Amino acid sequence: MPATTENNQSSFLGRISIRRNQVMSMEGNHDQELEDLELFQKHVGDRFADLLSSTTEDPSSDALLSIGWLRKLLDELLCCEAEFKAVVMMGRDPSQISKPPLDKLLPELLDRVVKSLDVCNAVTLGLDAIRNLQRLAEIAVVALEPRPMGDGQVRRAKKALHSLVTVMVHEDKECGSTKGTERSRSFGRRGGNAGNKDRVRSLSWTMARNWSAAKQIHAMSSNLAAPRGGDLTGLALPLYIMSTALVFVMWTLAAAIPCQERNGLGTHLPFPRQLPWAQPMIGLQEKIAEEWKKKEKKGSVGLLEEMQKMEKVGQLLIEFADSFQFPAENERLDEVRVHVEELADICRKMEEGLEPLQLQIREVFHRLVRTRTEFLHVLDQAGKLSTPTV
Amino acid sequence: MSSPENLPLETAQKIILRWDSTASEEAREKMIFDHTTNRDEIDLYLQAVDEIQRSISSASLSDSHHSNPSSTIQIAMARLEDEFRNILISNTNSIDTPLDEDSSFSSSIKRHQDFKNDEDDNEDDDDQNDDKLLRFDSTCSVATTATSSSYRSTSSIREIDLIPTEAVSDLRCIADRMISSGYLRECIQVYGSVRKSAVDLNFKKLGVEKLSIGDVQRLDWEQLETKIRRWIRAAKVCVRTLFASEKRLCEQIFEGIGSSIDDACFMETVKGPAIQLFNFAEAISISRRSPEKLFKILDLHDALMDLIPDVDVVFDSKSSESIRVQAAEILSRLAEAARGILSEFENAVLKEPSKVPVPGGTIHPLTRYVMNYISLISDYKQTLYELIVSKPSTGSYDPSNPDTDFDELEGKPPLAIHLIWIIVILQFNLDGKSKHYKDASLSHLFIMNNVHYIVQKVRGSPELREMIGDDYLRKLTGKFRQAATSYQRATWVRVLYCLRDEGLHGSGGFSSGVSKSALRERFKAFNAMFEEVHRTQAVWLIPDSQLREELRISISEKLLPAYRSFLGRFRSHIESGRHPENYIKYSVEDLEDAVLDFFEGIPVSQHTRRRSQ
Repeated sequence: MPATTENNQSSFLGRISIRRNQVMSMEGNHDQELEDLELFQKHVGDRFADLLSSTTEDPSSDALLSIGWLRKLLDELLCCEAEFKAVVMMGRDPSQISKPPLDKLLPELLDRVVKSLDVCNAVTLGLDAIRNLQRLAEIAVVALEPRPMGDGQVRRAKKALHSLVTVMVHEDKECGSTKGTERSRSFGRRGGNAGNKDRVRSLSWTMARNWSAAKQIHAMSSNLAAPRGGDLTGLALPLYIMSTALVFVMWTLAAAIPCQERNGLGTHLPFPRQLPWAQPMIGLQEKIAEEWKKKEKKGSVGLLEEMQKMEKVGQLLIEFADSFQFPAENERLDEVRVHVEELADICRKMEEGLEPLQLQIREVFHRLVRTRTEFLHVLDQAGKLSTPTV
Repeated sequence: MSSPENLPLETAQKIILRWDSTASEEAREKMIFDHTTNRDEIDLYLQAVDEIQRSISSASLSDSHHSNPSSTIQIAMARLEDEFRNILISNTNSIDTPLDEDSSFSSSIKRHQDFKNDEDDNEDDDDQNDDKLLRFDSTCSVATTATSSSYRSTSSIREIDLIPTEAVSDLRCIADRMISSGYLRECIQVYGSVRKSAVDLNFKKLGVEKLSIGDVQRLDWEQLETKIRRWIRAAKVCVRTLFASEKRLCEQIFEGIGSSIDDACFMETVKGPAIQLFNFAEAISISRRSPEKLFKILDLHDALMDLIPDVDVVFDSKSSESIRVQAAEILSRLAEAARGILSEFENAVLKEPSKVPVPGGTIHPLTRYVMNYISLISDYKQTLYELIVSKPSTGSYDPSNPDTDFDELEGKPPLAIHLIWIIVILQFNLDGKSKHYKDASLSHLFIMNNVHYIVQKVRGSPELREMIGDDYLRKLTGKFRQAATSYQRATWVRVLYCLRDEGLHGSGGFSSGVSKSALRERFKAFNAMFEEVHRTQAVWLIPDSQLREELRISISEKLLPAYRSFLGRFRSHIESGRHPENYIKYSVEDLEDAVLDFFEGIPVSQHTRRRSQ
């Protein structure tokens, strides 16, 4: 029997498939597949519409870019991913995904997946940094709770609050850039009394040097292009939808959570204005981009909702602490109590939500790895013949 | 340390206020806990703090907020926080010498341990202080002189003292007071921020690079192999010494002072580097699968497997679960990767598409590659026996693939079945390649050479032989012998056909005369064919000398007697005619010599072959 050559790679089934932009399976499930594709589009649209509406309609549900909202976002991504795999893989001849135009589009998606993995890791580091902020805030909360409020307490709270705000801003601006690490390194060697400033810099762990969240997202979105007219019924479309969803979610995560090098993140992603399933994503993106612009102008932190609140409340409490004179008026104390409660509430949300969020990101990581491995396997089996090196 | 009477509250407060670093220049410049200071100063301060704490808990408040104990305690706590930080910083051992093969943590450990042993022998109260200082020095300055121990011997958990004992006990005193005053969080903050830098520094010195997953995917595999090797060495030191020592330090300072504070501090300091460490292994475990990666991935897998029990010990708390989980996940991914790569390899062998026939019918590079590969696999059989648990997938959706009945291989471990399968598909592929030779004889020779090579390789490796089994080995041997037979048939049947009896005599049978013209044709045909075969097949190659010899002998055994007998019977007829030399070109000895040229892989020039009667 002759050795199989490249031309014989596809089974005879693949050879007689109709090679327009439709991909047909031999069982004649063509209609079923079209329906699946349409459902996929609809579901994606619905999911993101949910996320969009939850931010405007119901004040008691999670605000845009809050921890709770981000967790929902990741859930939706996992659902999209699962449906995507079902649409592309199930019931089809695996070799179909190695044919044009998928033979080019699929590796591009897989490349985006790899980039997403790094974003996941960067965001996880960012969440650790936020947990640090939570701890500093907790000091302030604990300090300002006891009554009557004395000098000592306020000094204690002030110290913590100043650290908090400084760290927050630092995390956001430089966010673990190499500059920060170097200072912290020299910090270790220096003896003597280290001031407040130096303490701040050693707090966050960093990604690889030269890694940039903004650049990463930009690279992920640079070749994102909607399939042309005739392709809309083939597998190119679900691939495009998945890619878009992935890029959007990663962009959102990087916008919300301080991670390395976010300058330039606010630029718009190339989303298709005319496709219905993309509308909610576009809506969300516009909202978030607006917030981002505001943040850049004001030099404030964010965009994680809890972080922004924390900064606001922190500043208010600092004002209080700066102007504190013992004994303070009851009115003032009552105001402060409200703020302290707010801060305590934020800390609680972080305490309850940060770790689950990290776990979810880890799950997304795993899922992406698994999917990539599966696709790579099919591609290698079908399309690529590796010549062993001697 | 004699404990004096309790200090009066006012005295205590004065002491605290004297050391308020927000209040005076002097307070800022000096440190209380300074190893050159008199311990009395330290004891006094601590006493003062205790007194303030006592007064708070007995709830006696005074009117003026200046002497309000809760205000004073804050000043004390702020001070203690600074002191704590300072002690940590000035006693942090940084590893000054770059870590290479010779100097290492373990060499400093060795000195420390040696020293410790000595110390145990001279247990003497008077000497204790001196010993403490000495120990402080010896662990502070890391050994630059090489000892024989290298990193590779970091085979079990070995903590070192990151901070000298005296400093530790001071830190403990401070932590105790901070925590009992409700300043736990500040204490953890300060500890975390200083130790983080120290760990980061040491971590960098171990040479663990920070690479993103994208970086790892982009790098050359050869570069990655080097990094993997380095990682394996560094990871052992990290887990067994660096992290373990940090953990012990936390325990030394915080144990018993509060509930799982030592855990919190430990994770605070170590989580980042731990994650960074495992991220590299993770990036490797998800890299694209290709056959050349198998063995380094197995190395990594084995190293990690060896390390995980210690990871579980060092990261044993609830808060460090994620690290343990990640390590286990990576291990299982590496195992999957190994399995996947094996499967990719099998696929690649089956489909290796090169059509260019190897000149001379010799061993195909694919054969060498595959046999070397599976030899290496047999070297790694310990690990692979564990990892490879299922039979090879035979690509059932492709109808053109070879068929193998795995039933007869029942009872063999899956790895062995894989190896046999690999040899099966190698042969399948080679069979296909053999068809590209125009000359059928060469096809057979090619198969013979390659299958023989396979057999030799298997025979040459006891592990391989054990796994492949003698049954299959016999089959392979049969195959190359059969190829040899096929070759002989393909080449020599027609040559020897020239030397047959039939058709040379007239219709009258043996007794009638020999047709001289037919005879002459026969000789000419034989000569031409032989010359052609000789010229062609001298260039063919049988690399194995024994096989070459055997085949030549086999040819000679058929050729020479036939020619001798032919000559014997019919030479007189030729010699009685004109120009016998045109027909009887060769003597038997000539042929015998000519056969020695076969399969040398060297072309023969025609002149040298002509000898005469």
